[in-house]
Amino acid sequence: MAANNRLKRLNTGRDFIADNYQTPLSLSDIAKCSYMSPYHFLRVFKDTYGETPNEFLTRLRLQQAKKMLITENYSISEVCEKVGYSSLGSFSSLFLKRVGVAPTVYRRKLWALSSEAYCFPAQTIPACFAYKFLGKLAN
Amino acid sequence: MITSIAHSTIYVLNQEEALDFYKNKLGFEVGDDMKVEGDFRWLTVHPKSNSQLQLVLAEPKEGPMFTKDSAEKIRSLISEGAFGAGVFETENCQKTYQELVAKGVEFMQPPTEQLYGVEAMGVDNSGNWFSLVQRK
Repeated sequence: MAANNRLKRLNTGRDFIADNYQTPLSLSDIAKCSYMSPYHFLRVFKDTYGETPNEFLTRLRLQQAKKMLITENYSISEVCEKVGYSSLGSFSSLFLKRVGVAPTVYRRKLWALSSEAYCFPAQTIPACFAYKFLGKLAN
Repeated sequence: MITSIAHSTIYVLNQEEALDFYKNKLGFEVGDDMKVEGDFRWLTVHPKSNSQLQLVLAEPKEGPMFTKDSAEKIRSLISEGAFGAGVFETENCQKTYQELVAKGVEFMQPPTEQLYGVEAMGVDNSGNWFSLVQRK
């Protein structure tokens, strides 16, 4: 029973991150949602989900950034701001480090591959699904 | 050597309604929600504590995979409950069952002792059956 309640409280903290990733978030603010001390929250969050709250937040922000870069016409600075980063330099280097290319290159490359504006190309989903649902084989 | 399963498909009648069910009733998290060329929505969900296996919520539609007739047949079979979404694990079947019932999730079988643990059987809002299992 205790484990179930702990998981519920943790999920509340996780949902708080997911709902507020666009704003600056501190560990203590997030931990408060789960009624835990920051240190305890950090430890059990990592144990439960396999990543720290900050790693989860970063993954979420980059995921949203990738989506915005492809499906919206925002500038890189606007995307950076909309996903919760205040420094364009930090955002760009983090994006490059995690995704492997700079945000501008990512957008240019994927837009060039897609046959439709503001859509992800078929190559971004597993080939078996792209083939079955879209009739496309990776080039 | 194959090390894990990354994606598995659940055919649903309506992606938006299925998303509401898996996210707001079962408490899953969205993995990907992308608009892909060819008017295709790549939508995946997973339990919050396990993002390694993504469940692809896909609508059977006329296209490369299905003829119009096949898609309609599949949709009809989904509604009839011919397909299963899989087995979802929980630490406390009785408690999770009560929480899900309170959220309006339909169950065909309440938590019942089985050789391998406690199991309840539910159905998603498309008609796919699933087991809710607390392993021994």
